[in-house]
Amino acid sequence: MAQEEIEIEIDPAGKVTVRTIGIKGARCLDVAEFLARIVGREESRELTSEYYEASGEVQRQVDVKQRR
Amino acid sequence: MSTVIVITPILIASWPAIAAAVTAAVGTLGFAIARNRELEAESELSESSRAEIEVENSEILADATGGGEELVVEREGIVARFSRDGRGALKVCMEGKGYSKAELRRVGEELVGRVTQQYVYHRVVTELKQRNMAIVDEQVEEDRTVKIRVRNW
Repeated sequence: MAQEEIEIEIDPAGKVTVRTIGIKGARCLDVAEFLARIVGREESRELTSEYYEASGEVQRQVDVKQRR
Repeated sequence: MSTVIVITPILIASWPAIAAAVTAAVGTLGFAIARNRELEAESELSESSRAEIEVENSEILADATGGGEELVVEREGIVARFSRDGRGALKVCMEGKGYSKAELRRVGEELVGRVTQQYVYHRVVTELKQRNMAIVDEQVEEDRTVKIRVRNW
C-alpha cells in the first residue's frame, strides 16, 4: 500500500500549497481543508483521479453491506 | 497522483503573536529590532522617503489593555515600523534616506511576506503537533519556500 503523506509548501509571501499523496477518497480533502481553515482562504483546488478512488475503509463498508 | 489546494493566508492574531512573527522573520532579511528614541531623533533631521503598506488580509485582535502597539526594525538606514492601524489591520511604515519610495515599498512588501510566512509556519506546525501528525522532513528552498512533509494522522 502506498505511503500516505501530505506535502505543505509555504512560499516567501506566506501562500500555502497542500498536496495529499496516496490518500484515496474524500479523506484527502479533510486533511487539506483543516489546513485551509487554520491558515486562511482557499484559493484553488485540484482533484485528481485518486480522489475518486474509494479508500480501503469505505470499500470494506460497501463489501459488508453487500454481504448482508 | 494527488489533491492540491492553494491557500491565501489571513493573519488573525493578537499583537504579541504578530510581534513574535515579526521578530523571528525580519532577521532573515538582515533587519534588527531598533530602539525608538534614537530613530525618532534621526528621523527629524533627515530628509527621508516614506512608504506605507497596509496588509489587507490581516486583523490584529485588540489588546484588553488597549495599549499602543508598535515594533520598529532597521537595516542600513531603512526603518520599518509595524503597528496596528485604526481598523485593526497590520500596517508597516517604511522610511529611509537615499531610497526611493518604490524601493522602500519593495522592501516593505518583502518584509510583510516574510512575517506572513513566519506566522503561517508557526500556525501550521502548532496545529500538526496538536493532531499528533509527524513531520518527517522539512526543508528551506533557495527561494526561501519552506517544504514540510507529514505522515501518520
